[in-house]
Amino acid sequence: METRTNSAGPQWGPRESLTLLNHNLRRVDGPEKVTGRARYTHDIRLPGMVYARLLLCPLPNAEVELDCSAALKLPGVVAAQAIGDKTALKAGFLGQPIAVVAAQTPELAEDALRAIVAKYKPLAWSVTKEQALAPDAGKACKGGNLGEERTKGDEDKFKAVFEKCDARIEAQYSLPVQHHCSLETHGVVVDFRGGEEATVYASTQGTFTIPDEAADALGLKSGKVTAVVEYMGGGFGSKFGLGAEGLAACRLAKELKRPVHLMLTREDEFLAGGNRSAASVKVRAGAAEDGTLTALWSEALRMGGVGGGSFSGLPYIYKVSDSDGVRSSVRSLFTHTDSSRAMRAPGHPQASFAMESALDELAYKLGIDPLTMRKKNLENMVYHRQLDRAAERIGWTRHANKTAPQSKADSDGTKTGIGFAISTWGGGGGKECEVKVTIGRDGALDAIVGTQDLGNGTRTYVAAIAAEEFGLPLAAASAHIGNSKYGRANASGGSTTTASLAPAVKDAAFNAAQAFLKHLAETTKRPVEELAFRGGSLVEASGGKALMTWKEACATLGTAGLSADGEWQSSLASNGVHGAQAAKVRVDLATGRVSVVQMVGVQDCGLPLNRSAVESQLNGGMIQALSYALHEERVIDAELGIMLNANLNDYKIAGCQEMPELVPLIDDDDIGRGVVGMAEPAITPGHSAIANAIFNACGVRLRSLPFTADKVLDGLTALALDGGAK
Amino acid sequence: MKAFELIRPTTLDQALGLLPNAADRERIRVVSGGQDLYTEMKDHLAQPDQLIDLKRLPGLDRIEVDAAGNVSIGALVTIAALTEHAPLRSKLATIAEAADSIASTQIRNVGTVGGNLNQRPRCWYYRHEGANCLKKGGTVCFSKEGLNKYNAILGGGPSYIVHPSDLAPALVCAGAEVVLVKKGSSRTLPLEKYYTLPSEGDPLRETVLAPDEILTHVKIPAPAVGWRSTYIKFKERGSFDFALSAVAAGLVIEGGNIKEARLVLGGVAPIPWRASSAEAKLAGLKPETAAWKEAAEIALRRAEPLSDNEYKVALTKNLIERAFSRISR
Repeated sequence: METRTNSAGPQWGPRESLTLLNHNLRRVDGPEKVTGRARYTHDIRLPGMVYARLLLCPLPNAEVELDCSAALKLPGVVAAQAIGDKTALKAGFLGQPIAVVAAQTPELAEDALRAIVAKYKPLAWSVTKEQALAPDAGKACKGGNLGEERTKGDEDKFKAVFEKCDARIEAQYSLPVQHHCSLETHGVVVDFRGGEEATVYASTQGTFTIPDEAADALGLKSGKVTAVVEYMGGGFGSKFGLGAEGLAACRLAKELKRPVHLMLTREDEFLAGGNRSAASVKVRAGAAEDGTLTALWSEALRMGGVGGGSFSGLPYIYKVSDSDGVRSSVRSLFTHTDSSRAMRAPGHPQASFAMESALDELAYKLGIDPLTMRKKNLENMVYHRQLDRAAERIGWTRHANKTAPQSKADSDGTKTGIGFAISTWGGGGGKECEVKVTIGRDGALDAIVGTQDLGNGTRTYVAAIAAEEFGLPLAAASAHIGNSKYGRANASGGSTTTASLAPAVKDAAFNAAQAFLKHLAETTKRPVEELAFRGGSLVEASGGKALMTWKEACATLGTAGLSADGEWQSSLASNGVHGAQAAKVRVDLATGRVSVVQMVGVQDCGLPLNRSAVESQLNGGMIQALSYALHEERVIDAELGIMLNANLNDYKIAGCQEMPELVPLIDDDDIGRGVVGMAEPAITPGHSAIANAIFNACGVRLRSLPFTADKVLDGLTALALDGGAK
Repeated sequence: MKAFELIRPTTLDQALGLLPNAADRERIRVVSGGQDLYTEMKDHLAQPDQLIDLKRLPGLDRIEVDAAGNVSIGALVTIAALTEHAPLRSKLATIAEAADSIASTQIRNVGTVGGNLNQRPRCWYYRHEGANCLKKGGTVCFSKEGLNKYNAILGGGPSYIVHPSDLAPALVCAGAEVVLVKKGSSRTLPLEKYYTLPSEGDPLRETVLAPDEILTHVKIPAPAVGWRSTYIKFKERGSFDFALSAVAAGLVIEGGNIKEARLVLGGVAPIPWRASSAEAKLAGLKPETAAWKEAAEIALRRAEPLSDNEYKVALTKNLIERAFSRISR
């Protein structure tokens, strides 16, 4: 784009004028990552550093007595102590950290952990829904396992509407606990060697969530701790603040006055690193003959261990035509397991599954195709546009079985189906970030802000926005992020980073450009309104005659170069996104295997800063939803109180063989808006669309995730017994 | 993982001399690719003081086919080498296909035939240090009353593990024998007899291998003229997984009728499960769908599913039909 002097403030400009933004940009840190040069927290090695490990309680509810003396006697072990220094304690959930050790090597730390003598007195526990609801259940919450019920609507009014519906369904939908499974586990490296200051390397979603908490734990003055988050390997909502592991590491560092490395193991991560809460939802729904949804009753239990869990409520997006026909209740059911945490669109995938399944069930009952049924109950025309595009791309118009499952199997013994679902999210920003853009005499263009890149491409668009301002190539700008000494930035939660950060970067780049133009006007003795940056050069605003190359222009600066600050500008951001996804599946009737053949995701996001990154987020969301749909489930034995699949062999996540053709489509009809975050809604509809596609293929309605072969086979057997299978 | 001493003999005699007596069999273990044993050690299920690494023993990493078509596979041959051996694939497809189905590329590159045949069960109770189950010297098989979706439907009790090897059913189907060597002697026995049901043998083990023996070779007789075979494994996750159910099937069709049939099931029993009655029934029948359906019914007639694995009955029947259909076309 071209930049001139401008009193109206920063603007993104027409999309067609952009040369970097709204294009496919390669990650600026891609080579660092694929060559292994990028240093993650896990990779930090410091002189004199010790490796710490946590001991997790192996029972869901127990009184614990710890004796760490034998561990302390092992050679190479420098610390072994109870968390909170109490050797007699009560542990209230499976995996609760109860002790911490530190040693010269990770292997010695493990030996130390196993040398701790712990006596456990088991107390009555509840780890499953059935256990927690039993009359004599062990209490995971002081007030009882059932939390306060939040209701909307009136039971009697609902009944009156429901009874008049032409089609009615009653069903129970359930979703298990899903884990974040970030590639990098939680953890920190605390660099404190005595003195007044410390540095904390952290795998976190919030650079600025670390320093104050760490200073407090280290007994240092506020402002004396620097957090470094150069690279981090994913969080999906699970990594804010120091956490139990970070606090333990800080305390050890304070005591030992040497750097402490404490990263959770994969097993720890499953037991104590957070999760997406499970849900169990009873639904009664009714519709008129023409497909109008008139009644929706729901009773949702959200199961987030010792945490409250999340469930975003019904009706989800769709409109119930008769307001008397809505009655909903949500309550938490507590268990003695690790607290759920935010996870990519908290509560939305759970609500989506109940809503989209119920609507789909009604559609088939009425003989209305599921696409028409959805549009019938959506007032917002953005969804109509997005659903139509997804439908067109996945081949819905050519699809033979729109209102009933495929009657006869193909020659290979499979049936094929298509399903749909939609999503919503805010994704707006706020005045959270302080960005500095500097221009050096040598031509260096730097954008500096303490924000963190979770792997989604923040670093790339920060550099791109700065380069775009001057019409420079991407490689001409550098982004400096991930350090709390830089300008403040918000934590990455709720898809708010882009809409908060990008406007502030743009503002700083704009201010730098304005200041630079002013400086060059003085230098060249020309009126500032006659100057512009185009293609990286200083040019005459009218006519475009080149005056100076970028290097020449920069060389006119003083030794200190030039710097400008930027802050959030509401005009550069927007709020509110929609999304529609379609899935095509093939069901093997002999084995029950569900193969997802294709997924199409249509997503709006205001101005796409980096189209490749938006598509990548959309792909990632679809993949994570596919994995949730087909495989993921935490498994805990109720009697033994142990998690049976706290590893990546038995907690199955989809691999390359499970991948469908992924079709990420940016909704380019969303014009005229600023930037909006879109990472979370990308995960919301996929599993619901897959469930609906399975029914469309073979007539088996799966109401409980994951959709494994055993459930499909059981469903097919039941259909055959009903005489429904052909 | 507990610290251990690694011993690396360079001759078979040296290795045999290092093998433990019965009292020391947990303390001294042999290892080749280590894809199972190292996992067990990391999970503290195995905590040996000494590991005898067999990888340097000469001559055990070869696949040899003699003029008559008899095959000898050394115990140190990697799974990847099996998948790449063209004669094996053309004559004994079931073995090559079973090898293809094992784990991931990385594991196939390192894991060996000997290790695959001797791997321990994957039952999640067995693999959890906190569950002192029957297979670990406890008194209870937790899967019987617990979460048993992946457990046995045939031959279960008192333990309900399934044998995780893919090569084992394929090799039993091919009529393989194993050579077990100890200091001063060796014995050869059918692979089928190598595995023991928990109700028949020591519930702590899955094979008859003695502590002072090493499995050195697998011998496969030349297949009969017209022999066709296949291995179909159903994995819950296609990318890498153990079998929910697997079928090794072989056929000789002569004059339009089945002359000989073999059927061995994986992932459904504590041992590779030879369905001899089904095999016998097939002999003489026309190779058509009705015959496969009947064989499948017979093979699963004795199935006793647990609370969560009834689906394995239908799945296995369907896989049997699919396997025989594939090789009779």
